[in-house]
Amino acid sequence: MSEPFRRVADRIIVDISLTLREWLANAARKTAGDALDVSTSTHLRLLGPIDPTVDHDDPLTQLQRQMTVEGSLGRFITTHLDEHLSEDDAEEWIRAFQLILAAFSAEHAIVTAEDRDNLSQEDHYDMITLQSGISLLIEALDS
Amino acid sequence: MTEFGTDLLDRTDTTLDVPWEVILWDDPVSLISLVVRVIKQVFNYDTAKAERLTMQVHHEGKSVVWSGDKETASAYCVALHSYALGATIQRSQ
Repeated sequence: MSEPFRRVADRIIVDISLTLREWLANAARKTAGDALDVSTSTHLRLLGPIDPTVDHDDPLTQLQRQMTVEGSLGRFITTHLDEHLSEDDAEEWIRAFQLILAAFSAEHAIVTAEDRDNLSQEDHYDMITLQSGISLLIEALDS
Repeated sequence: MTEFGTDLLDRTDTTLDVPWEVILWDDPVSLISLVVRVIKQVFNYDTAKAERLTMQVHHEGKSVVWSGDKETASAYCVALHSYALGATIQRSQ
């Protein structure tokens, strides 16, 4: 069985199924949409103010954070079918997977380890899939 | 200048001197290996310091990972958020 991500020189070779790629891309699209919807828990989790004593970040910080979220998720969506990635794109994949994981955590109101451990089997599998992707990408990038 | 005004000025100057802290909060889904890696990248800390801070977050729920001026604290906080890590800034207590 081959590694899902492996380094060859300065590239990261991606060997994951089309089904998984599409599942991740759909999750990235949903996360990007929810992040901009102020009524969602995902918005608060990803773009809530960095200073909790105020209602909003200053406009420049708000814009910067929004662009970062959109940039990482957008870069992943653009490259999700690629067979090999540059190191920069692989780093964006890690950010995108983390953003999807955080959105998943917000949606499922996971605040404690107990909340996490009480996930349904299907949700637990989704979480493990994202965590494994992050872990394996880090391993490949840092090798 | 009135006495009230002098008091206000003194208080404002003192407030400006108080450093800001970047607080990293525990979350039950982010991997420890990811958190260590991001702390190393963002703050340029060595592995031992990044691991110590990460374990403090893991066991105590949060850790002050940096303190200094507000602008830099905000920039670091935004960098941590780019990896969806839960981070906030606050005045040092």
